[in-house]
Amino acid sequence: MNDDSDALDEQLSKARRGERTALTLLVQAHQRSVYSLALRMLGTRDLAEDLTQEVFMQMNGNLRTIESNRHLGFWLRQVTSNRAIDQLRRRARVQMTSLDEETQLFSAEEASDPLLQRHLQALLADLSPPARAVLLLRYQEDLDPVEIARTLEMPLNTVKSHLKRSLQIMREKTAAMQPMRCEGSSYE
Amino acid sequence: MSNDIESQLRAALRPVAPSEEFSQRLAANVASQHSTAHKSRRSGARLHPLAWWFSATLAASLVLAVGVHQHLQQQRLQQSGLEARREVIEALRVTSQKLNLAYEAVKSQSTSLTDEGNSV
Amino acid sequence: MRKCILIVFWLLTPALALAAPNPKLAIPSFSALAQKATESVTITLDPGLLGLAAKFLDSSDPQEAATKEVLKGLQGIYVRSYTFDKDASYQQSDIDAVRSQLAAPGWNRLVETRSRKTHADVDIYIMVDHDQAIGLALIASEPRQFTIVNIVGAIDLDKLHKLEGQFGVPKLDIDPAKAAPAAQK
Repeated sequence: MNDDSDALDEQLSKARRGERTALTLLVQAHQRSVYSLALRMLGTRDLAEDLTQEVFMQMNGNLRTIESNRHLGFWLRQVTSNRAIDQLRRRARVQMTSLDEETQLFSAEEASDPLLQRHLQALLADLSPPARAVLLLRYQEDLDPVEIARTLEMPLNTVKSHLKRSLQIMREKTAAMQPMRCEGSSYE
Repeated sequence: MSNDIESQLRAALRPVAPSEEFSQRLAANVASQHSTAHKSRRSGARLHPLAWWFSATLAASLVLAVGVHQHLQQQRLQQSGLEARREVIEALRVTSQKLNLAYEAVKSQSTSLTDEGNSV
Repeated sequence: MRKCILIVFWLLTPALALAAPNPKLAIPSFSALAQKATESVTITLDPGLLGLAAKFLDSSDPQEAATKEVLKGLQGIYVRSYTFDKDASYQQSDIDAVRSQLAAPGWNRLVETRSRKTHADVDIYIMVDHDQAIGLALIASEPRQFTIVNIVGAIDLDKLHKLEGQFGVPKLDIDPAKAAPAAQK
């Protein structure tokens, strides 16, 4: 991991000097994270792609202020989250992608329980934009609450409150669906 | 149970890759923007004598600093404005929700009074 | 003699100021309750913030355009709402500090509802000055939540009426022509 990080620091220096290949490598290193955050915040592939492109274009203009690859990761998460939250605030309701679309919001590697996947998808859509961002930064990006607070410029207590509440809701609603899934006879 | 939902979330929320087509388009667009910007910066430096270049750079830096400051101010104002707008909408939503409670109570009371009147 | 008149005027001014109705409530911080609450909404919008918010409302969107109209003439919107995870986590005495202010001259109770179905009590007060509504106060008490809303300024009931049906605002059938004089009784 350290070697990767050092290598990307080197690419960042090269990108600042104008090397296209270095810039492309940086984009490739971070695009999954940015795209996934955008997709799970905004709910549709089109919007996620637009936001991802905007964020990386903005990154281009700010390379000189970014000190390291780690800083770049922080910067990308911050800009993506804040822009997504702003977009959602302008919209009355997020239309999560319909179940018929192929857009994959959740990891295919864990598709062993597609019903649960869809359930979590719906629960995520029900959270307020800031709560959703907090949950994604915690469980997708593996940030701790202090890092989340810094990224979203939100008080630490608010972050913890969002996490606690969101998990509680998810726990309750997921538990409520368990008996349905266990009643095997109704599906025969 | 807590760990169960958390591990389910972690597993479900592993980053997903965008489509290959989008990745290529993204890389091309970003690189193209970067090259254009970098060429503009370089060509300016080649054309002028050193002394003039220093003055021009200093002047450009000052203009940029003012511009950046204004841009940051504008951004902060925009953020504050959007936040204020969000709060107005939230305040109205809460107010309307509670007005609705009163309305429902009044409506159900008038319905039961009507029913009592009809049954007499 | 002139000095006497000036002194009397100086002594009377606070009294005169007190007599003028003040639609802005002094809402306590509720810090102890906020710590117990699972969710809290604290909104304080003074004239500056209301003006700023209005600039960011989209006039081409009917909902937001209607909201902009309601905001005109308003001096403040204050909301405090606390949700708890158990019944009876707050006492009515916690809200009494606000309720007692609504007993002052100038405030008139417009609506008082007590619902056995939802166990929600909602009181709506209005302050009227020269046939114009200049303040609105709403207190809603539910088993696990209480909400206080205070709107200060020239409330145009006609425009508020037009918001009904949008943002989930219910159609209250408040007749603006009847509401102001009725509230003065």
